[in-house]
Amino acid sequence: MAATPLHLVGAKTKNVPLVVYSSQGYDKNTVKAFQKATGIPTQLVDDSTGPLLARIAAEANNPQWGLLWVDGDEAFAALDRQGTLLKHFEPKVDWTAAARKVIPSDKSYVPTGFTLACALIYNSAEVSTPPSTWAQLSQPQWKGDLGMNNPSISGPTYPCVAGVMNHDRGISAGEQYFLQLKNNGLVIHDVNGDTLNALESGQIKLALIQSSAAIGAAEDSSLKVAFLKPETLLPSVIGIDSKVSHQERLEAERFAAFVLSKPGQHQMQTGDPTGDSLYWPVLQGVNPLPALPQFSGVPYQVVNAYTWGPKEATLNTWFTNNVVS
Amino acid sequence: MKTLSLPGQPSKRGRGSLRAAPGLFGWTGLALVLVVPVGLFLLTAFSPRLFDQGSAWLSVASFQSAIQSGVLPGIFDSILVGGITAVTSVAVALVLAWWVARTNLLGRGLWSFLMWAVLLSPSYLVALGWEQVLVSHGAFWDLGLRVPWLTNLFFGPVGVAFVYITKGVPFAFLAVAPALAGIGREYEDAARIHGAGRIGAWRTLLPMLAPALWAGLALVFAETISDFGVADTLAASSKFPLATFTLFNAIDNYPVHFPVAAAVGWFLVGAVGLALLLQARAIRGRVYGVLSGRTRNPVRIQLPRWGQFLGVGIAAGFFVLALGAPVLGALTSSLLKPGAGHLAVAELTTTYYRHLFHTGSLIAPLEFSARMAAIVASIVAVLAVAMAHFLTRRQAGLGARMLDLLLLATIALPGIVLGAGYIFAYNLPFINDVGIHLYGTALLLGMAYLAGALPTTTRILVGPLAQVDQSPVQAARVHGAGPLRAWVSAVVPVVARSCLWAWLLTFTGVLFELPVSQMLYPPGQFPLSVAITSALSTYIYGPGTAMIVVSIAFALAVVAVAMLGFRWLTPRGWRNIAVAQR
Repeated sequence: MAATPLHLVGAKTKNVPLVVYSSQGYDKNTVKAFQKATGIPTQLVDDSTGPLLARIAAEANNPQWGLLWVDGDEAFAALDRQGTLLKHFEPKVDWTAAARKVIPSDKSYVPTGFTLACALIYNSAEVSTPPSTWAQLSQPQWKGDLGMNNPSISGPTYPCVAGVMNHDRGISAGEQYFLQLKNNGLVIHDVNGDTLNALESGQIKLALIQSSAAIGAAEDSSLKVAFLKPETLLPSVIGIDSKVSHQERLEAERFAAFVLSKPGQHQMQTGDPTGDSLYWPVLQGVNPLPALPQFSGVPYQVVNAYTWGPKEATLNTWFTNNVVS
Repeated sequence: MKTLSLPGQPSKRGRGSLRAAPGLFGWTGLALVLVVPVGLFLLTAFSPRLFDQGSAWLSVASFQSAIQSGVLPGIFDSILVGGITAVTSVAVALVLAWWVARTNLLGRGLWSFLMWAVLLSPSYLVALGWEQVLVSHGAFWDLGLRVPWLTNLFFGPVGVAFVYITKGVPFAFLAVAPALAGIGREYEDAARIHGAGRIGAWRTLLPMLAPALWAGLALVFAETISDFGVADTLAASSKFPLATFTLFNAIDNYPVHFPVAAAVGWFLVGAVGLALLLQARAIRGRVYGVLSGRTRNPVRIQLPRWGQFLGVGIAAGFFVLALGAPVLGALTSSLLKPGAGHLAVAELTTTYYRHLFHTGSLIAPLEFSARMAAIVASIVAVLAVAMAHFLTRRQAGLGARMLDLLLLATIALPGIVLGAGYIFAYNLPFINDVGIHLYGTALLLGMAYLAGALPTTTRILVGPLAQVDQSPVQAARVHGAGPLRAWVSAVVPVVARSCLWAWLLTFTGVLFELPVSQMLYPPGQFPLSVAITSALSTYIYGPGTAMIVVSIAFALAVVAVAMLGFRWLTPRGWRNIAVAQR
């Protein structure tokens, strides 16, 4: 891996505070390590993705953020369409093949890791042979046994819904599929914690949740994780505000380069070992944590953020009105 | 009802400009902390271009989008649930307040204290706690109590209203209890002398409580229709969308649509306007001053044995319903080992609590929020008394009505609206250009906390202050005291207890405030609620719920210390005012 040397940029200019907006579980330690490595004063605003994006939208006529780091590329695609993102800042690193598929043609954002939007987690004490295809989930054998989150409330669930629709080649076919699941007793909870709680208490036997949550929960328990074909990639993504000062822009580029360096990857993998750290790296030569299976065995698909991002509000409303009950 | 008054008000002529100065200062302050931020946010519904939220300078498209998003049924549901919640909460609070303030019910201190515990429980925690208890394979299921009809009933409007009522009772209690304690014995005696029975005496007392009852009704109604916690959890899961859910969807889904959220905000303000109209019609032209220099303390009714059983049973029943499920949920989540599906002694661990104190992850946010809360609560307690006094003056006119509408409108708007409004107002480029850099500072966050807390606290104080008769003030003036000294020496002792409650309400409210904190906290300085939310967003609830348990214990300790401090430190006379005697 050949990351951009951290000391080359901005050496003669006085540093200004770099403001990082992030929802990552490993952001606090990464920011601290970056500050220590570069001497750049870095201010972190850490929150869930929704409130961060609301804050960015409210600041539209006088942006305060320098760098945004959250899961899912749909929001970045929308920001890019508004002309908000700096283009072509991509650090010179050895991307994996999957990472190259996610980077947009105008290079307005970069991935920093991968999880899957909806892995299948099941209680192995009750299920010996889990479903192996998406179609099987709607079979009577699993009536009342499957759970998932409400995409209007749980951030990573919309890419899951979009992924199913993308795979089923269209919105109406995807909607029909979710209605079949509903008729087969699909149980909807708000967020991962509630769905996992339902799984552990025996209310449901199977659930579709983000892979990092599933793999974290499956450690030291009877829960197991399986991947259906295709799984939708959910990249963690960094974008830089195009309106920041020249100096802060240089610092933001250094931050992105740091995250995609070995020290940065170490911080990502140690900051939240039972949660967000359970990701597949986007760099050649960096191994995932031992709890993760090899990425080469994951049957993944990439959903076009520029196509599915603008549909989020409409599809979430449809889901709430027709599937949640 | 007539009040005692002394003739000869001091002349106001010649001192007009001096008298106008505090008013001008007050309105300017209100404009800066409330009117401008809230107004600018609401303005985006008509002019999205103003804050880069769209291309149109003038448009009603956001209202059309809001209606297409299904806001009208949501508004109807919100008004219905808000109305039912307000009436029921005030009724329950009145019963509880009567037992606590006017009888010798056992455990009166405990019930008052538990009321604070209910007030502190976030509404989503109450909703989720009950969901976990009632859902199939939940706690009831484990105990063999399989009642599908109850589960079905809970996951719908009834369950939503139930959770709101448990959350509404403490607000109504805070508005009603001091007022109930402040009605002197002479009114009850007069009714009884004229042949009224116990119920007849109540008929006499109840109208005197009208300001407090209406203040409680309006407050609970506004708090309910602005709530996010239940709207996002139980109501959304139950397919019972409330107006705030539409607002939440407009802000939380990307791309963010602030103009649509602002349009929903207008509907909420309209709903509150209706409630205010009702309130104004109900108490127009009447005078409620009952706390005068000659007020005699009421005597506590000595309850018979069956009365004690009934009272304790009802109070305990309420608190089990309001606190049982969330406490059980929070304690089990924070004490159960990861992956433990059922509650068993072998599955318990204190790992999360030890981790919390070992890493210090709670200390810095708790310290930051406690400091902010103490400062804001102290300012709010003073301002709220002044504003409640302004609202309850006999000569209150258009200014008071405008202030009333402004306060309730702010309560009706969810916190995220206030947060966004503050960004719109104080992150304008020209404000930075003139050298004012408030955005991203603790000062601006404090201003927003103040703006969020002032309306609720003022409304709670309206009831007690409306009962303060002017005669002690006039007596002090006759004896040579200036206007301020007369007011301080005659009114402060009477409202001191209410002020303490107002301080505590603001302190605890700010300590746990989430939406404004999320939008405005200074980079690097994490408020308590943001730290808790961040911990809860991980996939293991334990660390987050342990933080909630420790934080609520801290807040309750502050409440206990403040209540005991009031008892020990204030002059004896202050504590004897408006308190029933044995």
